[in-house]
Amino acid sequence: MSSLVKCPHCGLRPREEFTIRGEVATPRPSAGADEATWFDHVYLRDNPRGEHREYWHHSSGCRRWLVLTRNTLTHETSDVVDASTLKTEGAQ
Amino acid sequence: MTSFRIDGGTLIDRHDVRRFTFNGEVLSGFGGDTVASSLLANGKQLVGRSFKYHRPRGILTAGAAEPNALLTIGRDGRRDPNTRATMAELFDGLEARSQNCWPNVNFDIGAANGLLGPLLGAGFYYKTFMWPAAFWEKVYEPLIRKAAGLGRASYDPDPGYYEKCWAHCDLLVIGAGPAGLAAALTAGRAGARVIIADEGAQLGGGLIAEGSSIGSKPADAVLGDLVGELHALPNVEIKKRTTVFAAYDDQVFGAVERVQKHLPEHEINPHRAMERLWRIVARQVVLATGAEERPIVFGGNDRPGVMMAGAMRTYLNAYGVAPGKRVALFANNSQAYQTALDLEARGIEVAAIIDPRTCPNIDYDGKARLIAGAMVRDTSGRRAIKSITVRHDDGSDEVIAVDALGVSGGYSPIVHLACHRGGKPVWSDAHVGFMPPENTDGMTSCGAVAGKTGIAACFADGGTAAVKALAELGVMSEAASLPGVEQAEEKADPIQPIWRVASSKGKAFVDYQNDVAASDIMLAMREGYDHVELAKRYTTNGMATDQGKTSNVNAIGILAENKGVSPGEIGTTTFRPFYTPVSFGALVGASKGMDFQPVRKSPLHGWAARNGAKFVETGPWYRSSWFPKDGETFWRDSVDREVNTVRTKVGICDVSTLGKIEIFGADAAEYLNRVYCNAFLKLPVGKARYGIMLREDGFVYDDGTTSCLGENHYFMTTTTALAAGVLTHLEFCAQVLWPELDVRMASATDQWAQMAIAGPKSRDVLSKIIDDDISNEAFPFLAAREVSMFGGRLKGRLFRISFSGELAYEIAVPAGYGESVADAIMAVGEEFGIAPYGTEALGVMRIEKGHVTHAEINGTVTPADLGMGKMVSVNKDDFIGRVMNLREGLVDPSRPSLVGIMPKSPSDKFATGSHILNPGDDVSLANDQGYVTSMCHSPTLGHAIGLALVKNGPSRVGEEVVIWNGLAGTTVTGILCNPAFVDPENEKLHA
Amino acid sequence: MRDYPLENRSAFSPDVAVGTGAAINLAPVPGGFVIHVLGDAKSDEAALKQVLAKIAPELGADVRKSAPNQWFWVGDAAVYSDRLTELQAGLVNQFALADQTHGRVRMRLSGASSRTVLAKGTMVDLSADLFAIGQSAMTQIGHIGAMITRIEDDSFELIVLRSFAASLWDELHHMAAEFR
Repeated sequence: MSSLVKCPHCGLRPREEFTIRGEVATPRPSAGADEATWFDHVYLRDNPRGEHREYWHHSSGCRRWLVLTRNTLTHETSDVVDASTLKTEGAQ
Repeated sequence: MTSFRIDGGTLIDRHDVRRFTFNGEVLSGFGGDTVASSLLANGKQLVGRSFKYHRPRGILTAGAAEPNALLTIGRDGRRDPNTRATMAELFDGLEARSQNCWPNVNFDIGAANGLLGPLLGAGFYYKTFMWPAAFWEKVYEPLIRKAAGLGRASYDPDPGYYEKCWAHCDLLVIGAGPAGLAAALTAGRAGARVIIADEGAQLGGGLIAEGSSIGSKPADAVLGDLVGELHALPNVEIKKRTTVFAAYDDQVFGAVERVQKHLPEHEINPHRAMERLWRIVARQVVLATGAEERPIVFGGNDRPGVMMAGAMRTYLNAYGVAPGKRVALFANNSQAYQTALDLEARGIEVAAIIDPRTCPNIDYDGKARLIAGAMVRDTSGRRAIKSITVRHDDGSDEVIAVDALGVSGGYSPIVHLACHRGGKPVWSDAHVGFMPPENTDGMTSCGAVAGKTGIAACFADGGTAAVKALAELGVMSEAASLPGVEQAEEKADPIQPIWRVASSKGKAFVDYQNDVAASDIMLAMREGYDHVELAKRYTTNGMATDQGKTSNVNAIGILAENKGVSPGEIGTTTFRPFYTPVSFGALVGASKGMDFQPVRKSPLHGWAARNGAKFVETGPWYRSSWFPKDGETFWRDSVDREVNTVRTKVGICDVSTLGKIEIFGADAAEYLNRVYCNAFLKLPVGKARYGIMLREDGFVYDDGTTSCLGENHYFMTTTTALAAGVLTHLEFCAQVLWPELDVRMASATDQWAQMAIAGPKSRDVLSKIIDDDISNEAFPFLAAREVSMFGGRLKGRLFRISFSGELAYEIAVPAGYGESVADAIMAVGEEFGIAPYGTEALGVMRIEKGHVTHAEINGTVTPADLGMGKMVSVNKDDFIGRVMNLREGLVDPSRPSLVGIMPKSPSDKFATGSHILNPGDDVSLANDQGYVTSMCHSPTLGHAIGLALVKNGPSRVGEEVVIWNGLAGTTVTGILCNPAFVDPENEKLHA
Repeated sequence: MRDYPLENRSAFSPDVAVGTGAAINLAPVPGGFVIHVLGDAKSDEAALKQVLAKIAPELGADVRKSAPNQWFWVGDAAVYSDRLTELQAGLVNQFALADQTHGRVRMRLSGASSRTVLAKGTMVDLSADLFAIGQSAMTQIGHIGAMITRIEDDSFELIVLRSFAASLWDELHHMAAEFR
């Protein structure tokens, strides 16, 4: 029916306001990186049972991309940050 | 018909007589009655037939767990099947009907199934209907479908309004019995935001059935005081008739409020919801859902007149209804003795109390004969109980004549909501029941669900639970207490579990609603289905609409007993929402009919409608697809005319639905250069450029034009279909991939009414309303800039771009002025023969010109496949899709690539999706050369044309191929050709 | 050139009645301007209000935060294209302006039941102690994205995309019907 996400910019919001993109991939490689590195980035995903970092877009709110750390087993979300911090704060 | 209505009844109003019909018979009850209580008052013990064997069934409970008394209530669109008579409030004019019986409930032909009992045991579907396989669809399935099922849904639309709401609170109290009331009072007095929800029409839960006094006051007066204080607290929201049916993640609780289901039709406010679906966000929760009294599994335990002992007490005290004239009780616990006392106090004879315990530790001082160490093994009576057979501890049998039997096999805490998020209930030998899981974050159980018994103990526990929950929120509070009531001293009074009366004669039912008997569960065990989840599915125990509320624990007990283990080792099946059935109306809410989804309307919608447009739904948008004129009866008449008008004169088309994005920032150019595969860094101010976006995997994502309107200011258009997706993708690139770039984006789709003006006369038309010089020299192909219009009265944005292949412009004006501008263009264009055209004509013209859309950009094509390989920059260091676009498989020259296709014989037609084969090859996908992505009738050429993705396509222009429609089984000879059927040299664009 | 009439049309269909009453009242906010302000990464609301007060004191500085570094600047005066160009020049690159006067529609929902009506659409908790006067939230009302701003205790302004305005109006009409 619903679950809630604590958007760092908007506060608690229902899942319906978000669009989910999937697992946070490896950092985008440089254009000169080898093919294997690119394949990992574009295609390889872990699908773990347990903690999972995912991109969520607050499409009906602030339209910021977020990174959720969500447990796929319990649906518990332990952390939500603005996705830009992955790069600006080296949080990869 | 004898009346069983006696004195008393705290819930009913005897001045408010209500008439209703039951299977067509006119009966009456009182305000405050449920359908069940009024049926019992009218002596109706037999109310329905069972699911499989069509056995006569009566009313078992007085609440939400009712497995038997499911009725169809209402008529036409307001007909609700499978309604529990025990929960349905009686209103004047109510119509109730029994289900699963034909021709009537008293004489049911399906009861012959009872004779087939041996064939219909556990797993009968799997065993009986196996062979021959051909019989499945034609014989078995229709037979099963006709015989199975309970009530039937109405085919008429429900005229009621339904809606969904959100609610928020510090503390959600689920259940308004003594524990819940105490919790709500405690938190309410402390100033917390409280919501207390109860499925009943009245607050009180177990207090309602309490006939005796509490302390020095009558029980109903105590209840009245408690509810009165709650009502007076402004921070407490009371939700009656509201079932909390699910616990979802993040402390969101689903609840359904039956707002007007209890009202006769003439009292229903059509503007108010019939039912309201609540999503309650609670910081803390007190679970005070109580406990369900368990039936005992013995022979003939399903006969009408057999009822839960606690339900008897409720009917007696709350509704003033006697369960019978001569009643027996069969119970393994002491709480049931209170029923005997209450019955006797009202002058009803209690013939016997059968207690399997040899030395029950009780202080019962009533008149009834106490038969200890005994069990009921059988009952008799055709449509209602006439007698019971008691097996004494010495092995002798005794038949006792009764017209009702109260049963109590112990109490099962109602733990569902504590388990919906995955928690497993914990078996307690002391309570002979499954208790709520120990660690339920944010939820505190209290009262009967936590194993407490007695009003005082439950009340005290509720107060304590609220204090604990509020402490989690940093709120100090003091537990509410019941003045003048001493909590009774707990005394050792162990329940003796009985999972099954071993000496049962005849069928002993575990699951009443699905007709699962103890013998079925034991058969399932013998056949190897002894895991609780397997036994459930093999026997269907617990799979009916009541989800096994009265049966699951007994089934687990039987499994445990026969395996020689504790019920805790068997464990429960998984608890999932919904706790009780929720109507589709409530789940759908207001989203039905024309309100199914929001509608998006172009700012030119009114203009298009006035010009006779036929609209087509494109996602949420309504787009004008063609504009029929007088005499045009077939859509193609209009489309062909519109195309010819544009090709020879001038047309106007609403393109407002295209996605539009304003892009700002010091790094906007660099950013565009990275998201498009072609170069954008040096796009000059005042120019538009066609761009292709790739996905990171190297395939084409979307195309469109981006114009540079000023330093650090760009305006991008996307396709209508991907407007939202492209913005989301761009935001991902800006925020996640390159947050170091200064680029900012705003959706501007709705700000502009945008029109394509296309055709050789388009410049002549626009020159009449645009003040600036738009000659070919001053405003060449791909020019883009703000222009002054109507003598300086309006500013617009003019783009010289063309999708049709003609000399064409797109003019964007502030949305509110869209209709006026379109009207003006129509007026000034009249002398040039202007006509509006829709998306159909647009589609025809783009195919004639060989322009691609998402029919071609289907996720499997590269720019090279579309003949635009040269656009992919080889000079840029990086852009989305750069590396993967160079993968081996994506640069293979033999990949299916864009080519035009037309029939060899101009009168032949072909279909989109048809496959291309080489002449002479077998008609088979093994010989597939590609497929047709788009086709239309070209009014310009006078025959069918299409676009196709064909292996080595561009190098095969002129080749003859076979166009194979596999669905229709037809083939046509076609010729591959240049995809630009019209103006391949682009002379018109630059004119 | 003929003098063609230029009418700024409302996004609402004229056949939908406007609810009026003490319990619930729904009305469009006509005229005025809505400008989407897009600040750079270092911008903040105080700086924005300061610069707006300097370059456009006559327009007021009613800015409603829609996202980090982004606001809707709203006012009741009319702002034409040339004025917007001037304003942009005054803000240089720190704040970019995208005119949304026609792209977004303002409406006012007021009355004692207004909060109850909005709770049928949005999850955002609008109780007065958590959502004070002047506070805004970008959220969904039903399936439609909208910005909600508390104007008074029992009065909210909604800003919605123009193309969805008639649909939202219609939904609010249904939601409010029981209070009319």
